[in-house]
Order: sequence, then C-alpha cells, then structure tokens
Amino acid sequence: MRRVTGVVGVALGLALVLSSCGDGKSSGDGAGGGTKSEVIAIAADPLDYINPLNENGSPGIQVAQAVFAPLVATDPNTGKTVNVMAESVTPDKTSQTWTIKLKSGNTFQNGQALTAKDYVDSWNLTAQGSTAWKNNGFFSKVEGYDAMNPETPDGATPKPTSVKTLTGLKQIDDLTFSVKLKVPFSQFGLTLQYLGLAPLPEEVRKSPDTYKRKPIGNGAYKLDATWNPGDDIKLAKWDGYKGPNAPEADAITFRFIPNADTAYNEFLAGNVDFVDVPPTKIKTFKTDAPDGWVTATSSGANYLTMPAWDPRYKNPKLRHAFSMAIDRKAFADLVGLSTPSNGLISPDMDGYRADACKFCNFDPTAAKQLLADAGGFSGAVNINYNTTSATGQIFAEAIGNMIRQNLGLEVKYTGKQGSEITQLADTRKLDGLRFSGWGHDYPSIEDYLTPMFKSNGDANFSGYNNPALDKVLAQGDAEPNPEKAIALYQQAEDIALEDMPLIPLYAKQNAYLHSAKIMPRVSKFTGVQALYSTFK
Amino acid sequence: MIRFVLRRILAAIPIGLIVTLGVFALVFAMPGDPLRELAGDKPIPAAVLAAKRAQFHLDDPFIVQYLLSMKDMFTGHFGTTFGGGDIADQLRLRIPVTLKLATMSLAFQWIAGLLFGLYAGFRRNGVVDRMLLLSTLVVLAVPGLVLYFAGQFLFGVQLKWLPVSGTSDGYPLAYLLPATCIAITGFAGMARLTRTSIVDTANADFVKTARAKGLGEQRILWHHVLPNALLPVVTLMGIDFAGIFAGAVLAESIFNLPGLGQFLFQSIRFHEGGVVVLLSTLAFVMFIAINLVVDIVYGLIDPRVRNV
Repeated sequence: MRRVTGVVGVALGLALVLSSCGDGKSSGDGAGGGTKSEVIAIAADPLDYINPLNENGSPGIQVAQAVFAPLVATDPNTGKTVNVMAESVTPDKTSQTWTIKLKSGNTFQNGQALTAKDYVDSWNLTAQGSTAWKNNGFFSKVEGYDAMNPETPDGATPKPTSVKTLTGLKQIDDLTFSVKLKVPFSQFGLTLQYLGLAPLPEEVRKSPDTYKRKPIGNGAYKLDATWNPGDDIKLAKWDGYKGPNAPEADAITFRFIPNADTAYNEFLAGNVDFVDVPPTKIKTFKTDAPDGWVTATSSGANYLTMPAWDPRYKNPKLRHAFSMAIDRKAFADLVGLSTPSNGLISPDMDGYRADACKFCNFDPTAAKQLLADAGGFSGAVNINYNTTSATGQIFAEAIGNMIRQNLGLEVKYTGKQGSEITQLADTRKLDGLRFSGWGHDYPSIEDYLTPMFKSNGDANFSGYNNPALDKVLAQGDAEPNPEKAIALYQQAEDIALEDMPLIPLYAKQNAYLHSAKIMPRVSKFTGVQALYSTFK
Repeated sequence: MIRFVLRRILAAIPIGLIVTLGVFALVFAMPGDPLRELAGDKPIPAAVLAAKRAQFHLDDPFIVQYLLSMKDMFTGHFGTTFGGGDIADQLRLRIPVTLKLATMSLAFQWIAGLLFGLYAGFRRNGVVDRMLLLSTLVVLAVPGLVLYFAGQFLFGVQLKWLPVSGTSDGYPLAYLLPATCIAITGFAGMARLTRTSIVDTANADFVKTARAKGLGEQRILWHHVLPNALLPVVTLMGIDFAGIFAGAVLAESIFNLPGLGQFLFQSIRFHEGGVVVLLSTLAFVMFIAINLVVDIVYGLIDPRVRNV
C-alpha cells in the first residue's frame, strides 16, 4: 500500500499527459510468440486475495480492474461517463433515489447470469461491519447504513446487529434495482464507476474465504493458472465479456516486486513490460529508458495540514502567512516531477481553477505582515514527518527552513511512523503541522471537498469544521444540474481556502516505463493504464 | 551425551518464553495502530476497524494477546495476517526459500573464508595475505545495501548472466546472486578469524614442542595446529548460522525472494505481533539447535570439552 497520496484514484482518476514517447528499442520479453502478452510489474507486497469489495489500494485495484467490470466508466477520449454493466443510471428529481438498470446477457465467469440481486446482495454483504471489508464506508451514504453499523465508542466491542440489509437498496426486477440515499447527492452517478462496487456471484458471497485466490469476476480477464502464494498472477482474456472497451492484450501477468528499485531493475533487464518509476529514479529515468517513458499527473493533491485543535494556529491570517512564506516553485522542484498547487483540488478535475488560491503566491513581505496582523506565533512550529518515507525528513526540513527564514519563527521536527501520525491527528492530539495527500475515488471535485473539509469528513485530517461550507456542499449535492453543482462546490473551495485548514503545496506527476512492445493507454481523463496497452 | 542434549533443551524453554514475550512486547509497544497501516491514507470505517480488532483480539490486554498467539502457534492454528493472508500458506512457501538461500550462502561463505584464512595464515605476509587484508577491509566498509544493488545491476541488468530477482528461474540459478552477495559480506570475518587463529596457534608453545620433538610439518599442521585453530572458527560458524536470518531480511527484500526474512520485514511494518513472534520462535529454535550442534562438534574436536 503506497502511502502519502491516496491512490485509489490512480486507477480511475483523470490525468494530464505532459509528454509523448517514441518507440525505441528497449526490450520486452516476447513470451507467447504470436499472442499479445504483457508483464506488468507492481511494486508492492503480493496480494493475498482478489476481491474488489475489500480492496482500496492501487495494487489490488489494478488487478481487480482486469477481472471485474464496473457499472459505469470514464471514456478515456471524452472524459464522459459511459455505461459498462449498466444500461442506464437514472436519478429522481431530487437526486436522492437512483435507479440502476443492468444490460441483459452479461454473466459471471462461472456462467451464471449477472442480475440485480448479485449487486444488492454483494453491497449488503460489504455494508455489514462484521464482514470487515474495506469498502464498507462507501455505503455510508445509503439509507439504512447506520442501523447496520451502529456507532460504538472507541475501544468498545461493536454491538452485534441483526440488521443484514440496507433499507435503501431495493431489487425491482431481474435487471433493475434502486438505491435510496440518506440525503440528495447529485454526484452519485459518478461514484458508480468505483470498482469497489463490483458484484460477486452467489457462490463467492456464501464463502468468500474459499475464493480468495480463485476470483470469479465479470470483467475482460479470468485467472489463467492456479494462483498460489508466491506466484505471479496470470490472466487470460475471457471471451464471455460483452462490455465496452475490452483491452487488447490476450494475456497479462502481474508480477509483484515489493522493492521498487528492484522492480525498476527488472524492467531495465527487459523482464517486465511496464513499471512505475520509483522516487529514487526521478532524476534518471529519462536517460535509463530514453524511448520508453510516459508521465501523467497523478490525480492527487498534496498539502501541509494545520491542526484545528491547537489554538495557536487558529487565526486564518497566520495560516495565510505560512502559505505565502512557502516558495512552492522551489519545493515542487525538490519533490521532482511536480507542479506548484494553487488550489485544493487536482488540476485535472472538472471545475479546477488555476487562480483559486489568493494566498498561495510566494511573498515573504506580505507573509511577515500577515503574521504581524495575526499577532505573531508563540513557541516553536513543529513539523511532523513520516519516517517510513524516504523523503519525509527532507521535505519537512525544506518547508521548515522557509517558515524559519521568511517568518523568523523557531521550527522543530518530529519523525514518526505514518500510521502513528494519522492516529494522533484522528484523536486530535498531534502537535503541529503534517503532510497529507489525497486522490479521488471518482472524478468529481466534490470528492476532494467532502472528505477533507466537511465537518467529520472521512479524511478531515485537520479537524476542520465550518457550517457555512457544509451548507454549500449540501446545496451542491442536491443540485441536479452539473454546471450549477460545480459552481456551488467551487464556493465551498473558496471558503476552505479562506480558512485554509490545509495549505496547498504541489501536484505530482507519476512516471512509468514501458517496453518497445507495448504502448500503455495514456489519457488526460484516466491517466496511464498498462491494462489498456496497444501492441506494436 | 543424551543427558547433555536433554539438559540443554530443557534449559532453552524458559529462555524461549522470555525471548518470545520480549519480542511480543516490543511489537506491542510499537507506536501507531497496526490496522491503520493497512489503510494507507484512505479512511477505514469505524465498524470495520471494530470488527477487525475483535477478530485479532487487539483490544485484549497484552498478556492475553500473547497467550492467544502462543496457543495458536502450538496448536498449529496460524490463522491469517491482518491483511487476510493465510499464515500457514506463507510458511509453506517461505521456509524452503530461506533454507535454500541460507545453506547456499553459508556454504559459499565458509568455503571462501576457510580457504583464504588457512592459506593466508600459513603464508603469512605473502601476497594472498595482503590481498585478503585489503579485500576484507573493503568488504567490511561497503554497506550490504550498496553491494546487493550493485551486484544486481552488474550481473542481472548489465551482463544478464543471472536473474535480477525472484525465484522463477528455480534453484540454484535464482539463488546464486543473492547467496554470493550475502557470502561476500559474511566471509571477511570468517577469513580473518581463521587466519589469526592459525597464526596464533602456529606460534603456541605446544607447536614449538612438537617441532623440537622432530615431528614432520604435515603432522604438526593436521594434528596439532588445525584442531586447535578451528575451535573459535566453529563458534563463529554457529553465530553465522544464526545471523544469516538478519542477512536474509535485506537480501530477500532486494532480490524479491519470498522467504522468511521478507515476511518478517512485512510483519514488523504491519505490527503483526503474532507473526513476528512465530518467526522469532522459529529463529530461536534454530539458534538453540545450532548451538547444540556447535557444542557437540566442539566435543569431537577437543576432548577437553566433552566432560564439561
């Protein structure tokens, strides 16, 4: 699981391509002769199971994308939502109840017909806390979630609940079901492209553990060989897939190589066709593979996060002072492959504004003035960094030096494990600033604003709370017209920039290497995807 | 002999308890919530966290958690990791990998260490001796990480003589490079100890006595010098064997070998107390067994030790 940026969005997010690439003569192993086969390296610990409903990290999602198909997807050419398993997705007038009709004739890889019941039962299974699947939280917007997952005080064992179904999920007929949400939500249609909503067939639902290593999906590829611990995952095209945009490859091998530098070396040796460029190779990858690299924005944004629970950081002017004391250009250069951020959302989203932030330009004089207006700062500014990240300390010291030099404040640093920082922040005990990052699960600017800035949002790292922003978000959620909804969300972004619980820092690009045999799909809407490679 | 072995095994039990308890306490005391490590930066709903905590007894007191994981270990119910991986499956996959790697690298390390050490000891201040001194200094100065990546890049990526990583090329091919790398970092100590020990023994009074008695050089070497010189070397071999696990952690990570070292590394990162204790117990049992073997070998070499 890669840290620092939420990476679920990598698979789904929009991406802006800033480079083209030639077709050089780097080598890929042409195993399989006439068939179009590719080996994709994933720099992560090997998976223990393939189950999209219990998967929210990039490695697992990458594999699950090949084996399972979502209800809807983003068209890589237009950025519009297209139906995959769904025939239609229709909201009612208020966007509170959504009716989903499935295409007929789709089946699972075991031959069973894919029906509305499969979706309803799979979703109910995931929404049960006791199932302990990672995408449980997705269903918190659906009516009846709270009855299934009663709030328990910290440390208490959850009360067993006999409620096994979401009241908001209703099967209408074999191919139609409806979802009633707790409150209107205009973006719900977009959220349906999240792979964590994939259906599982009945035999898997009955005994998920039996099928951990034998997934039965509804996507373009099925498992081609027994997958034991330690094996690569070998997939072959499944001819029963009738959905749109089936990938070109006949066979795909996912090879897990936990050490990212080793994975990179495997690529250089010509043993894999596709690999992510690790942070250690940012400076050299273009010379290592002159004809086989692509970059794309990573559909995420990175911030410096303020502790709302510490009164010393309460004054927005002080936060603006911090923000204007940071030389974002220099910092982005230090990070490498990055662009300075001027807003709270990823630059590739619909509704992104390049000039959103009024306090993000580097201006030490104005920063000092703002600090004075805020009444100064008492004590030392503590910057927390993640010791498990190779770059954590370097980045913390870079930011710290800017604050020290440009504001004349004393700065200190604390290194801790990422999970410990998260825990302290969640319990509102963290002293000082921390770095955070976010990547969206579905391509809507709402998926930046709600989790991070809504009171008690899922990823409200800073403990921020502003009823005015909550109100505008709710208006956006209830607005069926997409343009008007975006305008309301932008208002929410303006409020958040004014209060600045998070200081925008940079948006990073991801870089990838590919062999001469393949050209991964590169789209400004869906990023770089090896799964959808074309073969030369 | 039987009594000696039994006594040693009985004495190991309380030590084993203390070691496992200590390791468990260390993992328990690690900051941060293990389940959050699983989540990355994506939030995990309270209901799921609570269910997972109940499943893995994470809310129980420390000693209860320890006893539960000991019970699981001795009843063979290894269960799953926090991430949902089957631990028994992992052990089946990983134990052979680490054994292959360890035996191969130890063989390389001992053969090279002994040969160089013996030769340098007998031909003191010769070319080989000087070369050895220099090369061991270099090896001791280079960090393992650098050596491993350099080896991987040179022989795997550039020359393509050996696999870059992974076990898909099978035994022995897939293990040659990592085993050689571990051996290079480990052989220096062995070679220098052997050399020093030979030199010390060769200058000892009893060797001079043997010469004065008019014994032949061959006889002095095989019957007087070597048995005495090898005593400390055997001890080092035992320590080496136990230490190979530590070398394997790094080598398995860089060469992507699914062995116990890699598993230990992952488990520590995810605060998997149960798995860490399981692996530590394995290592401990190995350590006790090897120590026992070392002591028996001692007895074979040196009659004085037999009745201690």
